[in-house]
Amino acid sequence: MLNALLYLRLTSFRNWLLSRVRRLRQPKYLIGAIVGTAYLYFFFIRGFTPHPQQAATTRPMAELQDVLPAAVPADWLPAVAAFGAIALLIVATLMWVVPFERAALGFTEAEIAFLFPAPVTRRSLVHFRLLSSQLRSLAGAGVMVLFSQRWTFLGGNALTHAVGWWFVFSTLSLHFTGANFTLTRLADLGVGGWRRRGLVLGGVAAIVAATWLRLSAASRTLLPGNDANFSTLTNPAIDLTTTAPLSWLLWPLRQVLGPFFAIDARAFWLALSPALAVVTLHYLWVVRSAVAFEDSSVEAAQKRRDRLDAWHAGGRRRSGPAQGRAAPFALGAGGRPELAFLWKNLLSTWPYFTPRVWLGCAGGIILGAVWLRTQPDLRALAVGAGGIALMFAGYTAVVGPQFARQDIRSDLANTDILKTYPLAGWQIILGELLAPAAILTGVLWLTLLAAAVLVGSDPVGPAWLTAPLRIAGAVGLAILAPALALIQLIVPNAAALLFPSWFQATRTRGGGPEVIGQRMIFFFAQMLTMVLALLPAAGLAALLIFILQWLIGPVTAVAVGTAAALVILVGEFTVAVWWLGGRFEKLDLTAELRS
Amino acid sequence: MIEVHGLTKRYGDFTAVRDLSLRVGSGEVLGLVGPNGAGKTTTLRCLAGIIPASAGTIHLAGHDLTATPVAAKRALAFFPDEPRLFEYLTVRQHLNFVARIYGVRNHETIAQPLLEEFEIADKADQLPGELSRGMKQKLAIACGLLHGPQVLFFDEPLTGLDPLGIRRMKNSILQRARAGATIVLSSHLLHLLEEVCTHVLILKKGEKIADGTIPEVAARFSQGEPTVNLEEVFLRATGGTEG
Ligand SMILES: Nc1ncnc2c1ncn2[C@@H]1O[C@H](COP(=O)(O)OP(=O)(O)O)[C@@H](O)[C@H]1O
Ligand SMILES: [Mg+2]
Repeated sequence: MLNALLYLRLTSFRNWLLSRVRRLRQPKYLIGAIVGTAYLYFFFIRGFTPHPQQAATTRPMAELQDVLPAAVPADWLPAVAAFGAIALLIVATLMWVVPFERAALGFTEAEIAFLFPAPVTRRSLVHFRLLSSQLRSLAGAGVMVLFSQRWTFLGGNALTHAVGWWFVFSTLSLHFTGANFTLTRLADLGVGGWRRRGLVLGGVAAIVAATWLRLSAASRTLLPGNDANFSTLTNPAIDLTTTAPLSWLLWPLRQVLGPFFAIDARAFWLALSPALAVVTLHYLWVVRSAVAFEDSSVEAAQKRRDRLDAWHAGGRRRSGPAQGRAAPFALGAGGRPELAFLWKNLLSTWPYFTPRVWLGCAGGIILGAVWLRTQPDLRALAVGAGGIALMFAGYTAVVGPQFARQDIRSDLANTDILKTYPLAGWQIILGELLAPAAILTGVLWLTLLAAAVLVGSDPVGPAWLTAPLRIAGAVGLAILAPALALIQLIVPNAAALLFPSWFQATRTRGGGPEVIGQRMIFFFAQMLTMVLALLPAAGLAALLIFILQWLIGPVTAVAVGTAAALVILVGEFTVAVWWLGGRFEKLDLTAELRS
Repeated sequence: MIEVHGLTKRYGDFTAVRDLSLRVGSGEVLGLVGPNGAGKTTTLRCLAGIIPASAGTIHLAGHDLTATPVAAKRALAFFPDEPRLFEYLTVRQHLNFVARIYGVRNHETIAQPLLEEFEIADKADQLPGELSRGMKQKLAIACGLLHGPQVLFFDEPLTGLDPLGIRRMKNSILQRARAGATIVLSSHLLHLLEEVCTHVLILKKGEKIADGTIPEVAARFSQGEPTVNLEEVFLRATGGTEG
């Protein structure tokens, strides 16, 4: 029986892999794969500058004998191990606290349809699931090895780390399943819900508290005085984790972490058998405690499917909203149709993006900022806050488009309908961009407002930064903000339209190198377009301001510079939207998603 | 009024629709029939201006779809096989949105009777997620009818509906046709097509095998038998039977 299940697992995996490989025949995927692989190779496997430590990572098993010793003071290790054990404890505790459904083993709908009616024992089904999670543990270990490659202070080598990670992932996934089964049993006995949570949390808290009380006063000082160094910070954690009774609770977790933290071959072999014992005990626990999970599996699979459907239909991963909302503004029948998209897309996001909320925020910012400026003691804080506001404005302009995505990106599923509307392609694109642009503009305005009031608090700031100039600069930037936001939004939307299936792939989990490569290409494209789009505008504005300030004074010069920059940005945006509209008219989503 | 000449749609090397010509007058209902993959959906998507045709001309209500797409689209409505709705708009907000897109001035006075005709008036403030599939389809149709289109395209409009829903849908289609609309629909449910369509067009592998009124087409494939139903015609035309 298990053979059939193994076959199912392996063929599914092979077909998944094959379909990915086949996709590489399309140049855009191939380029993504090449970039992604190169990135992985350089960043994780080789490093840009190969240094001696890294040579060890590629050594085969035979050389396990001379694994490099820890490169960083050995006193790091206990601290890291302590934090690792605490992290595992937290994760394990959450597994007992969080679930509020009956044990469901995460079968897919298809698996349920085929396997549940099949003459398979429950135990085989459990084994089947465990087998699947083993594949995931192995993959997780592989990925984590790449990531932990650079933690040279750990000692050990790639192999010991891979084995170490495998122990961690396997134990966690087994523990999760076992906890689920046990919780279901307990629920059937009447110990469920909040009572169970209280018991678990109370138990763990009691153990931690008891241990804390047994610690010496010195170890309890969490905030050292002036002589703060690494060990004064970590010693309390180490002491805590090595004192009973917490040390007993952590003991099995430490065994699981043992192989990972082994600094040399001897330590690794020594750590192996206790870790294996813990995993084996977990396995026995799971198989022994397997309870009826069929009902809850069916339900969970259904829910997952619904979520996926909702995502495919509406472009969001969460299940849909519960209730309709009042519209952000009254949408009359007359007027530019593009505004209908603004109206619709604002309805798809938080209800806070309304003029009233913005005005309230602006009022609050002005009050707070003005108060801050009038406090003589807090001058430095005021300037610092102004600087942070400016930085946040920059951050919003650069990465904001990744967060505000109430545009084509969430409407891809509806392209067929959008295309039957009596609108030119550019009108649809423009309309779709309006909502995120409005949101980003609002955030930019608020941050600029804060910066304008706070930066250059007169006694501190440079003399030339006079109040009129400051206000002119802030107003100029505020005028440019919408154009800037729109231009920034072009890139991710163009990406979604030009590479819809990439775009879908980057939003789902489990991407291969080609998806990583795609993300990087998108990121660089975003940066590059930003620089290319802003350079002419910024350059011209700077030139005009520099020349004209002698003739017409700095404030008027800033106004002229702003106007010039605005003309350039709007021109660029117009060309981009017009071009993207043409792409939209040609887009055939089904053709893209077939591949 | 729909006039199509030499419509061809290629996906790479694969030709999904080849040299299709057809003409549907106002008040007529053309049924596109054909086995799975015959190119029905592809044809409808080309006619509705969703995907550009590789060759051929399409005129809808007198407008050339390629030269003046916006004017042509103003006259049409397309209903995909799966109702496509916006997750966050209530029933009423959907109509509001569509009214703005098409510039329908007095849309409330049009929307209310539509909602009532489709029996979703009491659901006006609900989101699509709360509606059953049939109701979603009704909402999609109400949205499409709001601007009074002269040309209507339905892709598999009867799939997934219960018997009552099918009856209502048929009545709605017939009613629009009687009011002078030009309608093209595709369906697998042949016996139902017989009740709705004035004309049929049989597609196979992207090519037209036969078209005309139902009696005409039946006559072509009846092989002398007096009464042959559409299903039998379909099977004979597409080579589904041994004979
Ligand atoms: N985007 C596409 N790319 C490539 N082939 C397609 C695409 N869309 C449809 N096809 C192919 O065109 C043929 C007609 O499909 P379709 O029009 O959906 O058929 P029907 O609706 O009659 O079942 C099928 O063979 C299908 O595989
Ligand atoms: Mg179809």
